[in-house]
Amino acid sequence: MTAVIAATHLSKWYGNVLGLNDVSLEIEAGITGLLGPNGAGKSTFMKLITGQMKPNIGTVTVRGRKVWNNPAIFAGIGFCPEHDVFYEDVTGWEFVTGLLRFYGYSGSDIKQRAARALDIVELTKDKDRLIRGYSRGMRQRVKFAQAIAHDPEIIVLDEPLSGLDPLGKRKLIKLIKAFRDEGRTVLVSSHVLPEIEALTSRIVLVHQGKILAQGDIPYIRELIEAHPHMISVRSSDPRALAACFVGDRSIQKMSFAPDGRTFVVETHKRDDFFARLTGVVLEGGIEVEEISSPDDNLQAVFEYLVGK
Amino acid sequence: MTARKSIGEIFGFFFFLGRRTGKTRVFALLGLFPVILAFVVRVVFHGRSGDMAAVFTEILMVFLLQFYIVILSLFYGTSVVAEEIEGRTLSYLITRPLPKPAIVLGKYAAYALLMFLMVAVSLSLSFFILNTGRLADPSLYLTFIGYLGVLGLGILAYTAFFTFLGAVLKRAILVGLVFGFGWENVIQYFPGSTQKFSIVHYLKSVLPYRPTGGGGGRLALLLFKLEPTAPAVAVLMLAVVAGALLALACWFFRMKEYLYEE
Repeated sequence: MTAVIAATHLSKWYGNVLGLNDVSLEIEAGITGLLGPNGAGKSTFMKLITGQMKPNIGTVTVRGRKVWNNPAIFAGIGFCPEHDVFYEDVTGWEFVTGLLRFYGYSGSDIKQRAARALDIVELTKDKDRLIRGYSRGMRQRVKFAQAIAHDPEIIVLDEPLSGLDPLGKRKLIKLIKAFRDEGRTVLVSSHVLPEIEALTSRIVLVHQGKILAQGDIPYIRELIEAHPHMISVRSSDPRALAACFVGDRSIQKMSFAPDGRTFVVETHKRDDFFARLTGVVLEGGIEVEEISSPDDNLQAVFEYLVGK
Repeated sequence: MTARKSIGEIFGFFFFLGRRTGKTRVFALLGLFPVILAFVVRVVFHGRSGDMAAVFTEILMVFLLQFYIVILSLFYGTSVVAEEIEGRTLSYLITRPLPKPAIVLGKYAAYALLMFLMVAVSLSLSFFILNTGRLADPSLYLTFIGYLGVLGLGILAYTAFFTFLGAVLKRAILVGLVFGFGWENVIQYFPGSTQKFSIVHYLKSVLPYRPTGGGGGRLALLLFKLEPTAPAVAVLMLAVVAGALLALACWFFRMKEYLYEE
């Protein structure tokens, strides 16, 4: 696939503080999640690809075209900033229509696009209220509306889910996925792991201005071979089950959970373990009630990579 | 979108926004101060010599020329760029397909018109209240147009200067205060060519007055120590100053990277 956004040896610093350090990254169509703690460099990266900052070293291009001081490319980019900031003395409708004017649309086109965007984020009913009177969730939604109102091919969303209630989050996630299904490129940042997990499996882990890992979650899992996978197996006879694995060299550690029914193993070779487990269950007739991998999520991956 | 259309769209948006802000309401109220004063003067000096109207018209012009348009231009001019940084709304503008200079020029034009309207209302109400006895005199209207023109030129020049400051400096308003109420208020009274390093010198040089020997006559307050530049040259200077400063502001805005304070 062709990279929609490409960063090559990108570095950015603020005085003595390093914001981004030698980042090379290619982002393709679909949803890419930019994940990292606050201050990791996610927003810096987003500002660089939306032309709000100029790289100190390296290049960043969108569809092969440079970004800095190239306003023409913004006809196809929608940006939703992280901060909860607005022109407060306008209504939601005036905010969205006002910003749509900067694309050169006709008056009727502006109205039509604004109406559609506000409808998508379910603010039609409240469009004539002043933004300063909006709730946090409504403010987040109108910010999202201005980013999609011009129907951009690339959507850059900096912490778009913050401030939304669970229902609002679910709706926005659905909406972002719909953009993906239309073949658009969506770059989403978050420091909340489940949010990114809910959106995409294609992630870029950022920490201290560097990319720690990128790819889908299983791929990143592969990268962290140094850390074993933890697998819990709940069984009617966990000790009998454990006995079957005592001689298995792929197992690094075995323990029993306080409930007395769960046997927990740590292994570098997860696939081998599951294959053997299947055999043990079938041959030994030991009943297995549940298998889970407590650390098989982004939080665990992230913590291993940053060495927590 | 063409640069002209971009400027037009920015102008429209910020002229609309500008009318809504609390700042505009405060400054519009400040513009009513000379109107109230004119009304009081008119009532107190009712039936007396027309000279009194001329004296107070002069005081009115001192207020408008040396205070009102300076403070207006200072706050609106510096805010062309600074309010976008402080309010963190710059992201909404520079991620649109707009040439960056269009943002500066469009906002400058929007705010300049807004200020001109405030000044025009203030001047016209107070001027005609003070001069109700001369409403049949055609020269009164010429004088009024002259004053309004000078104030308009002042807004354009000062706002260009403060827009430039706002594009270049973080704390532009402090530097602007020193310039507007320090430098401009002092340097204009220096003899010789030194006074020509102030904007107000050129503004005073195009005031609609008729020298009556001894420099200034009724307009002594405004023309005190003024060694005027020829009006055409003064207008040209103001245009050059405004144009050059705006061009510089646009250049800085295009090249500079503005970071939000965390």
